[in-house]
Amino acid sequence: MLAYLAKSIVGAVVVLLVMSFIFFSLQSIIPADPARAIAGPNAPLETVEAMREQLGLDDPAVVQYGRFLFRLAHADLGTSVRTRRPVSDDIREFLPATLELGLVSIALGMVLAGAMAALQFLIPGSAGIRLAMVGVGSTPIFLSALLLAYFFWFQLDWLPGAGRLTYGDFAGPTGLNVIDGILVGRPEVSIDALLHMILPALALALPIGIAVGRSLNGALHEVMRQTYIRTARGKGLGETKVLLRHGLRNAATAPLSMLSLQVRLLFGNLLVVERVFGWPGLGLYAVQAFASADLPAVLGVAIVFGILYIMANTLIEIVQSMADSRINL
Amino acid sequence: MVKLPHRLSEPVTESVLAVKDLSVTLSREGRPSRVLDGISFDMFPGEIMALVGESGSGKTSIGLTLQGLLPREHLPQIAGSIRLAGIELVGAGRRTWQSVRRHLVRAISQDPMGALNPTMTIRRQMRESNAGSEGSIEDWLSRTGLLDPDRIADALPHRLSGGQRQRVLIAMAMMARPKLLIADEPTTALDVTMQAQILDLLRDLAREQQTAILFVTHDLTVAASLADRALVLYAGRIVEMGGMQDVAGNAAHPYSAGLLAARFDLDSDRRRPLPTLPSERTPSTNVENACAYATRCPIAQPDCTTIRPPLEPAYVHAGAVACLHHKQTPTLSALRTDAKPWPALAIQETAALRLSNIGKAYPTGIRSFWGRRQPQPVLNSVNLSIKLGECVALVGESGAGKSTLVRIAAGLVTPESGTVARFDRLPPQVVFQDPVAALTPWLTIGEQIGERLRAISPDSDYGRRRVGEAMKLVGLDPILMDALPAEMSVGQCQRAVLARAVIVPPRLLLCDEPISAMDVSLAATTLNLLGDLRRRLDMAMLFVTHDLAAARIIADRIAVLKDGQLVEIADPDAIVAAPQSPYTRSLVTAMPSLQAGGGR
Amino acid sequence: MNGKPSSDRLPARPRYNWREFFRRAGWLESVGIVGVPVVTVVALLAQWITPFDPQLRVAAAYLPPSAAHWFGTDEIGRDLFSRVILGIQYTWLPALAVIGFSLAVGSLVGLISGLAGGKVDLVIQRIIDLFIVVPGTLVALAVVASLGPGLVNTMIAVAIFWWPWYARISRDEIRRLKARPHVEAARIAGVGRPRLLTRYLMPGVVPALLIGASLDVASIIMTLSLMSFLGLGLPAPAPELGAMTARSLDSLTVHWWLPILPAAVIFLLCLLTNLAGDGVRAALRGA
Repeated sequence: MLAYLAKSIVGAVVVLLVMSFIFFSLQSIIPADPARAIAGPNAPLETVEAMREQLGLDDPAVVQYGRFLFRLAHADLGTSVRTRRPVSDDIREFLPATLELGLVSIALGMVLAGAMAALQFLIPGSAGIRLAMVGVGSTPIFLSALLLAYFFWFQLDWLPGAGRLTYGDFAGPTGLNVIDGILVGRPEVSIDALLHMILPALALALPIGIAVGRSLNGALHEVMRQTYIRTARGKGLGETKVLLRHGLRNAATAPLSMLSLQVRLLFGNLLVVERVFGWPGLGLYAVQAFASADLPAVLGVAIVFGILYIMANTLIEIVQSMADSRINL
Repeated sequence: MVKLPHRLSEPVTESVLAVKDLSVTLSREGRPSRVLDGISFDMFPGEIMALVGESGSGKTSIGLTLQGLLPREHLPQIAGSIRLAGIELVGAGRRTWQSVRRHLVRAISQDPMGALNPTMTIRRQMRESNAGSEGSIEDWLSRTGLLDPDRIADALPHRLSGGQRQRVLIAMAMMARPKLLIADEPTTALDVTMQAQILDLLRDLAREQQTAILFVTHDLTVAASLADRALVLYAGRIVEMGGMQDVAGNAAHPYSAGLLAARFDLDSDRRRPLPTLPSERTPSTNVENACAYATRCPIAQPDCTTIRPPLEPAYVHAGAVACLHHKQTPTLSALRTDAKPWPALAIQETAALRLSNIGKAYPTGIRSFWGRRQPQPVLNSVNLSIKLGECVALVGESGAGKSTLVRIAAGLVTPESGTVARFDRLPPQVVFQDPVAALTPWLTIGEQIGERLRAISPDSDYGRRRVGEAMKLVGLDPILMDALPAEMSVGQCQRAVLARAVIVPPRLLLCDEPISAMDVSLAATTLNLLGDLRRRLDMAMLFVTHDLAAARIIADRIAVLKDGQLVEIADPDAIVAAPQSPYTRSLVTAMPSLQAGGGR
Repeated sequence: MNGKPSSDRLPARPRYNWREFFRRAGWLESVGIVGVPVVTVVALLAQWITPFDPQLRVAAAYLPPSAAHWFGTDEIGRDLFSRVILGIQYTWLPALAVIGFSLAVGSLVGLISGLAGGKVDLVIQRIIDLFIVVPGTLVALAVVASLGPGLVNTMIAVAIFWWPWYARISRDEIRRLKARPHVEAARIAGVGRPRLLTRYLMPGVVPALLIGASLDVASIIMTLSLMSFLGLGLPAPAPELGAMTARSLDSLTVHWWLPILPAAVIFLLCLLTNLAGDGVRAALRGA
């Protein structure tokens, strides 16, 4: 187990290095001159040269990359061109909203996946369910987000479809509104936060639910044909017990891998959903950064998302190995 | 049904299982087919009944029907009556079935490797089985002869060997004290010595707990060493039933007689080809009013295809038989013994293959921190030479290193030490265990057989003629040249594999367990074919098997391999009559024979 | 006795054909399989089959869908249906190009890796692992954002993170097949290396790649349209479906057809290809 953890940490570090290298190369091949950009378009040449000196842009690439890594390690992601603030400050401000939304979406997605698999297991081979599942799985994220917003917010007005909270001035210690509401003793804030989260989280959870649900269903079908399932049935166990005790755990590997894949896609989807619902998180921040070609901000968000993804991936791998003891830790 | 005198030693007891007129229809890909047709039989407490038939005879379906576990996707339709301990099971509800499976009927399967949940410890799996039975899990494990019950109970299945798993499964089934145990080929995946132990264990438990055992097998010899009574199944129908010794000693149905004649053991005549069943089974299309065996039957009369034979008292023994002409069956054995002996062999003194001091190790076991594994010796300075025209059988149990030795001889694996010397530069040909897997699914048979020709003659007309000749040589109709492997039977695939090996006759043919996955009659056919080919084409042969009987029939010398070392090499009859090493002796003793009471 | 031909067994199942292929695929999935070439033809001929000129004002602005303008008109009175047809071209052909490129590069790399084995295999595998573990969409977004928006940049960025999947599939299949007895038997029969590859290995690898690729077309369409939605595709007037939705997002509550209908067409494309992918998988698995 310890060796496994060490291995996965080393793996994560390698991936981070690779990503940072990609981002570093991106920074260096961009045609725009950062010295000129900072000094301003009308600054005299000497000022630009001085700025270049100051930024270390004349140093060899290796030194620059080393410096880049050093700054990364100190959470120094540069200054946003758009907000004129350090990117790390911006990220600190917007990260909790995205974390909250992302975690709720993953949880909701797993619930949906279980429901989908159960539905398909109970009514196998039904063309209607098949079409519905493929249909939902084929919906581009902006369409499902749009439709949810259009019907449940604009047409029916059942749920809020913009922003995170009705209480504009609320700020809690963790930044996760649902938890903060409880922490500071204002449960109405938690409820309000949850209500705001339903539509965006549903939009994000649908693809997760469909993909993981289909994979779970396929794996279950495969597993339930195995001889040991016959052994379990032969012991006179009820079908539910057979499914839960013998089927589910053996079928866990493939859907968990699918979950890992879906979490990777989630980061892209977060940008769209936060944009559609005006969710003040990192995704929206990144979309705005795209629009204003704010490269430090874009790269900063990408690095944070990359770290989050690697953490999620490692976690899923550990769960996988616990489900199947044959996977050598 | 016919009243049969059952076990004589005890007073008549109430039957524990009464099956009456059982018919089962399964639908595969929308096509319904009747897998069981009018089955009736009784079983009594403590009795062992052998259910004998070839693959596809419906013998596995009976077991599944009795457990209510026929696969739902095949839409099983069941008619007739099954009464188990007084409970009617046909049409029973889900709850009844569950309780019946829990308390009355259990099964152990053919495949001990797959029958245990890989992610659950043995203890938890056994606990699920414990239907209020006294005795701890460890007790039951040690009763099945497992030496280290504590460790095994806490282990996951993949840490156990095949034999250990089968014992666990038996313990799991028996601890529920069922009235009926269905044992579906429980020993086919196991080595001979292990097979004998498992059979003894089953017999003892049946007697001790008064459990009736339905022992499903394709092997009459194994059945004879264990069962009290026998049921012979063909195409979903009972063709013969009676006392085990009656059926084995004096078969009343031509099919049973054929099965008996085709089986071989340590006493079979090895100087001539083995008797075989007439031919492979044709798909029985419309046999509603006919004998299903009529198309294969050597004594079939015109009425066999118009009347369905009823089960009636047999002429030759006290059981019952479903054959219109069963009085003629005894004449069959007279027909069979006159096969011509094999012609004399011309074995030369020059070696076709000489293996000297062969050593080989593979990394096995648990990986260390750095992912390295300890090399485990598989072969240990093996010396073996095969003369031109000679056949040497290499006998050993799984894990003895047989396959590695074949691969070294074929040049597929390089040994770590020692030398391989062959008579000629032409590489030897290899016949693998599974003939279907040895053929590429998307290429025609002709193309694959002709593959070895390509190096010599790319001419396609000439090539096709040569392929056709090779196919005829192995008894395969050249029409099948354009068939794909999936369109042929296992037997035909085996012939195609052989045709590919001999189209350019090699000096040396290596056979790696070619018959281990086959029914008895197909195994006999294959042994005959190999015997014929090696004499006609003057090939030397290395025949690897775990079956001492097959080795004795095909080979001129037998080499016994144990744990990577040759322990004995001698003339086949000498090895059987006077085994020198203790290991060979145990192999000989473990061989089941038709005489009651198991080994020799 | 051994010379007797045993042709008594009829072929167990019929030779593979199209009817069998569609039967295995399922009727619903067959619709998708038939739909894919139809969409491809529409995409190729888009310029010539639009009812109106997609670039010109042809009616009043903001007309709702009607018999004359099936999808209504946009903010300057262009026919939305015509623009969407052209948009199919801008979405579909790049997706096919990305798949084609990834398949070509991926299967080649996988082939080399699987055939070579040993150190070469190990190195290639590590590289592929790295590509697969790095969150591709995210890096692709960052790459395009840095290099500047544009269709070609988007396609390159997506393809760079897509080929490793096919490399992995073809490598694993090659390794699996190489260990199978029938390939070993062919080697023993003296089949040469090139012939072994083309006749004995590739026909076994192609179905797996085909299944993978057909299931991926929809994902590629979604990724490309997601990037286009985020403004990383072609600049403003170009009728990219994702961008069309994004640009009219704010008029959702007033002119619902402007953002919804282009997105719905993306949905239809994905639905067709997903069904086709499922069908291809069902049909080829059993073969």
